[in-house]
Amino acid sequence: MVVGTQEKYRNELSFHDTLEQHSDFPRLIALKIDAQRRGVHYTEQALAHIDPQIHQLRTSSLFGSRDNSFQPVPQSLLLRDGTTVLADPTPLSQDPYIVDWDGDQFVLKEGDTLLEQIEIWRQPDYYRQVSASGVPLEHIVSARPQRLNVMQSSFCYFWAEEDGGCKYCDINTHNQAQQNQLRVPPQLRLQELTAAVGEALKEPGRFTAICLTGGSVLKGTELFDREVQLYIDTLQAIGENFTTRKFPSQLIASAFTEKQLIRLYEETGLTSYTTDLEVLDESLFNWICPGKAKHVGYQEWRRRLIAAVDIFGRGNVGTGIVGGVELAQPHGFKTERDALLATLDEAEALAEKGVTTVHTVWVPRPGSQFHAQRAPSLDYYIRLAKGLQALRAKYGLDITFDDYRRCGNHPDSDLARLQG
Amino acid sequence: MTRHTLTPELIALLNDPETIKILGTTSPDGVPHVVSKGSIHAGDDGRVHLFQVLEHSQSNRNLTHSIWFDRQVAIYLRGKDGTSYQIKGRPVQHHITGPLFQQHYVNFRARRGDVDLAGVWVIEPEQLINETPAVRIQEENLRHPHVTHLDRLVKPTTAS
Repeated sequence: MVVGTQEKYRNELSFHDTLEQHSDFPRLIALKIDAQRRGVHYTEQALAHIDPQIHQLRTSSLFGSRDNSFQPVPQSLLLRDGTTVLADPTPLSQDPYIVDWDGDQFVLKEGDTLLEQIEIWRQPDYYRQVSASGVPLEHIVSARPQRLNVMQSSFCYFWAEEDGGCKYCDINTHNQAQQNQLRVPPQLRLQELTAAVGEALKEPGRFTAICLTGGSVLKGTELFDREVQLYIDTLQAIGENFTTRKFPSQLIASAFTEKQLIRLYEETGLTSYTTDLEVLDESLFNWICPGKAKHVGYQEWRRRLIAAVDIFGRGNVGTGIVGGVELAQPHGFKTERDALLATLDEAEALAEKGVTTVHTVWVPRPGSQFHAQRAPSLDYYIRLAKGLQALRAKYGLDITFDDYRRCGNHPDSDLARLQG
Repeated sequence: MTRHTLTPELIALLNDPETIKILGTTSPDGVPHVVSKGSIHAGDDGRVHLFQVLEHSQSNRNLTHSIWFDRQVAIYLRGKDGTSYQIKGRPVQHHITGPLFQQHYVNFRARRGDVDLAGVWVIEPEQLINETPAVRIQEENLRHPHVTHLDRLVKPTTAS
């Protein structure tokens, strides 16, 4: 029994009633979306059955969470079809799903109603080790069920300018707190990174890809030159572990010029490139991402994204959007219908040029300017996920570099499991 | 559909490497797809387990569709002595990470060399059908004794 004062996340149809209207949409993916949208709360019973030697607990991350805390609760969940759920621990008052222990296994519940058996992410073997300088390896390379994450720069320079940071983002406020509380090093030592990745790879069958991301670094002779160099050095350090020149990898970074992208492709083992437009509407981009708009601009960001297809190849270039943020008020779309039409229209224009679009589920986090807003309905996210995946199928775009296994944060690319 | 317990005979058949093992699935459009699947075996949890080597194979996609939309798959087994069974069931879990997956990943590669393993599927058995020809003929004769060709009922002629 979960006791607490809570109000409904939104005045909307229930999960069951929403799904009834989408009989062609997998229930498990809908559940993932909704758990990410509303977050999860771990009962005392559930927490009592967490084993820190077995389960992966919350560690350093690029963004914060809805509970604004570093308490060692589970990092996240897996559904029985292998779907990753990246759900924020969320205070009970905010109407989250409940993670409970039913005497035999972990389960996901809505109030007292059992919805699904779930698994808590397993901790990789290397998490128990420290580097030569004493840094826990999980602070050098963090893990998802099948992916290694490297965050070389956790400071975003767009935030260094007044009103420059993206309004849905909490990167800098979170990372300042993270450095203070977890003592995460502000910058990685490359030798230690090489060694940490090497340790991670000793566990057979555990990892399928490496993802690099971080805050934008504006410095350099040309805009982003220092960020590019940082990623080249980082990728080369990681690459020392492999026999092949290229290794399955994704870089999620700023919108680089062709010259910068060619360097990344030719000088490293990188196999895919993602640069996030965040919201597929120029006027909303200008409002929500003022730093990106000022230094690069929507049209130039978009042009660079398309230009990257000629360098990395069709199906290896993507853009991420913060799904739902297009409905942020007061300047966002006024109806979910209008938001969906506009977003899918622009995603189709990108798909025609070989760029694939994936969405995350917008979580208005406490450290962001949009902290008081609410994400749209589950119905909206189901339509968005279906729409983006339909475009991928229509234009024959591969998404293996950012799919359910190699990422797990995009409901639309979860659907690509049925795509050949 | 209630879960069926695998009998010791069926477990032995599932785990015998000489058993012919066939997996039948259907696509989202209902198109049947049948493959030989030597990795089919009885799991410790009393369910049927099988490996998928290829992430994007038709079988793997059909199994994903089946777990998402609660559809049955079929498994056919034929032992070296002719004993045959069909198991109908539903995929209930797909291990792509975790101890069970990693244990199979290591063992599979030890046996097969440098090959990958995409996942281990778990099938909940719902119908166990003995398809051994002699058994099926006997069942059919008992249920439908008058279904036969008349020439089989003709008195034998005596040689003159």
